[in-house]
Amino acid sequence: MKPVLLIAWREFRQYVFSRGFFLFLVLMPVGVIAVAAMLGFAERAQPVRAFVAYDASGRYQQALEAEFERRRLRDVVTSFDAYVRAAVEPAALEENRIPAPFAPGPADTARPNAFFAAGIDAARAAVAPHLRKGAPAFEPPRWPFRLLTPPPEVAAAASLDEARERLKPYLLGEKTASGADGPLFAAILIPPDFGVGGDAPAEFWSRNVTDLALKETMSRALNTALRREAAEARGLAAGAYEEVAGIKAPIEDYRPDRGAEDEAIDQRDRFESTLPALMTYVLLMVIFAAGQLLLTNTIEERSNKIVEILLSSVTAGQLMMGKLIGVAAVGLTMPTIFAIVSLVAAIGLGGGEETLRALATLGESGLVFVYLFYFFCAYAIFAMIFLAIGAVSNSMQDAQSFQGPIMMLVLLPIPFAPFVYHNPNGIIGSIFTWIPLYTPYAVMMRAASDPPLWEIAGATALMLVFAFVLARAMGRIFRDTILNPAPARAGEVWRLIRGGF
Amino acid sequence: MPIGDASPRMTAPVLKLDNVVKRYGDFSAVDGLSFEVARGEIFGFLGPNGAGKTTTLRMMLDIIRPTSGRIEILGAGSAVEVRRRIGYLPEERGLYRKMRAADSIAYFAQLRGVPGREAKRKAAALLERFGLGAFARARNDQLSKGMAQKVQFLCAIAHDPELLILDEPFSGLDPINQHRLEDLVRELRAEGKTIIFSTHVMQHAERLCDRFLIMAKGKRRFVGDIRQARAAYPPKLILRTRDAAERLSRKEGVAAVVARGAPEGGEQAYELTLAPGADPQGVLKAAFDAGLRLSRFELAGASLHDIFVALAGDTAAAEAAPERAEAA
Repeated sequence: MKPVLLIAWREFRQYVFSRGFFLFLVLMPVGVIAVAAMLGFAERAQPVRAFVAYDASGRYQQALEAEFERRRLRDVVTSFDAYVRAAVEPAALEENRIPAPFAPGPADTARPNAFFAAGIDAARAAVAPHLRKGAPAFEPPRWPFRLLTPPPEVAAAASLDEARERLKPYLLGEKTASGADGPLFAAILIPPDFGVGGDAPAEFWSRNVTDLALKETMSRALNTALRREAAEARGLAAGAYEEVAGIKAPIEDYRPDRGAEDEAIDQRDRFESTLPALMTYVLLMVIFAAGQLLLTNTIEERSNKIVEILLSSVTAGQLMMGKLIGVAAVGLTMPTIFAIVSLVAAIGLGGGEETLRALATLGESGLVFVYLFYFFCAYAIFAMIFLAIGAVSNSMQDAQSFQGPIMMLVLLPIPFAPFVYHNPNGIIGSIFTWIPLYTPYAVMMRAASDPPLWEIAGATALMLVFAFVLARAMGRIFRDTILNPAPARAGEVWRLIRGGF
Repeated sequence: MPIGDASPRMTAPVLKLDNVVKRYGDFSAVDGLSFEVARGEIFGFLGPNGAGKTTTLRMMLDIIRPTSGRIEILGAGSAVEVRRRIGYLPEERGLYRKMRAADSIAYFAQLRGVPGREAKRKAAALLERFGLGAFARARNDQLSKGMAQKVQFLCAIAHDPELLILDEPFSGLDPINQHRLEDLVRELRAEGKTIIFSTHVMQHAERLCDRFLIMAKGKRRFVGDIRQARAAYPPKLILRTRDAAERLSRKEGVAAVVARGAPEGGEQAYELTLAPGADPQGVLKAAFDAGLRLSRFELAGASLHDIFVALAGDTAAAEAAPERAEAA
């Protein structure tokens, strides 16, 4: 075992203690922070989308303005709730020490009204005694839309057609509307017969056809206005619509295949079902990174003629195993470091309690070990294939002819992953479970949904037999071709694979 | 039919090959090879390119498996069981480019069972001993070719093996380093190590080997020492005369007469191959009787080069000629 660990340690050191790895380690979080900062800056730098509404029906202008204002207030309240959850001591929330309307809750019509009646300063003062140490004060988010009064010549238009023509210069930047910094971002034109049962659609005019945020907000505002109008037409009191629309049915999740004690779906269940998706992503990253490392490293040993002296010191099996372990450790180092840094950052920013609780919940679940087992099985299967490719190649160019089909095999299950995730015990999940190359992916995705034990046991046994036979075949390729000066031909590789079986 | 003595002069062979065959499809790289190497000897493994030397060495180390036959090394049925007692320098050598010289030696020593700290100490001591102390922390890609070859050799001996297998150890070295390596091999033998090395440069083998094996086309052609080899081949007479010596070819006991080189000062050198059992004095008398005026008459045993060419055939003759010059 010692030579295997020595080889693994050398492989690990070669990459992890290199300047490139250190630079990547430093630059990766710097890059993430820089990208996040740039996105934030880009969002802030984006001009407020100024627009006007021309209502030829005369019924929706006010409703539209009111609806946009309601949405702006709701947006501030929702942001405040998110701020409170992150910045306030958890105990203050659990003990309901934050008074209404500032305590997090549904942002229906009444609460934003009460919130703004008291004002932002009152909201800040209400949470101030409960803030975590170092938490910043609340800053309301910037509302990205500004509804302007239509220019007088547009307001005076006698028809929708005339209004449309008069608005175009403002949209094209030939004229500037009062209150706008440049051309209008958009204009909405409401025809005279717009309304419930009316056929005429509202018109949304804008040169920007890709930024749909305003159009969607406008659409939702008009929907609400129409629904409110319809509700009032059916005798509902003014303002009652918001109350009715704000009603949410409480619903809890249960599983019929559990006992009475744990039939309710809790945080652990959610972790267990989301963890495989995360691990599949990490697995892919590791297979990509490790596959490249194994290839370049084996090709280097082949072309540098080191391999023969290695094979006089250890067996081909020990050399393969050492490489697999060492490179797996390299592949896992990066996500592990980022996970630890993220954990430390979460604790440092005050979210550690939840994170640690989540980790503790995860630790209690036996499925973590199941995921780890299949994770390493998948890695071993694909890493052995990459190692064999390295052994038959003199250069990366030689390797590419084998690498392409293998990468297709690695990536094949990705488009099917959502189907398995949403319907773990469906036919697609079952099919992938019985394909040994994909058994690890499929079982990881299905494990939390109690798949039939016979199916998992049978597929796992098949996968282990496949891995054993693959190890023999790949070991044979590695041992028999690594010393050949010329890269192996496909026919020879096939002969060796058959020999391994 | 192979000639010589397949058994070593000393007892307890460290290596024994018994009818070993290695086939790749229809091609026999090694064909029924048998020989033994005794403890403490320097054993040469001679043959032209493609003779099967490297394949045999790899089979000895169990890097590749023989198709049939048996190999016993240091008392074990496979080198895998005793690889910590074996040092190996392959013909095609390499080092990890980014690794430091001392770390390379220590790494390979550790792989062969030397504890980490001791491996580092040994690496430092060996580099010092062989004049590379100042380069211990240099990366391998910063070393000259000669230095890198020394480091590779030190990688093979750092774990203090009792059997050292060197595949073409002199190739790529300049004449000064070739002599240094010869001295080192003798030093290691003096320490009690057994050394097997392959070469197709006869001068090294002639100077170093206690015994040697000549193989060609996968088969053994000779095993034994230089004395046995010479005994198996008729001696030669070198003579120098201003007269035509070709007439001696018809005399009793003379198998062939060949002129060597260009005439100098009106004299020509000749090489006379004697028939088996011929008396050189009789040939001398015949030369006088034929009226030859001799300025030189010398009895010379067959050189290893001659024996090699005779045994390994035309391929070897073509290869050996330039290599004599290279090794000189």
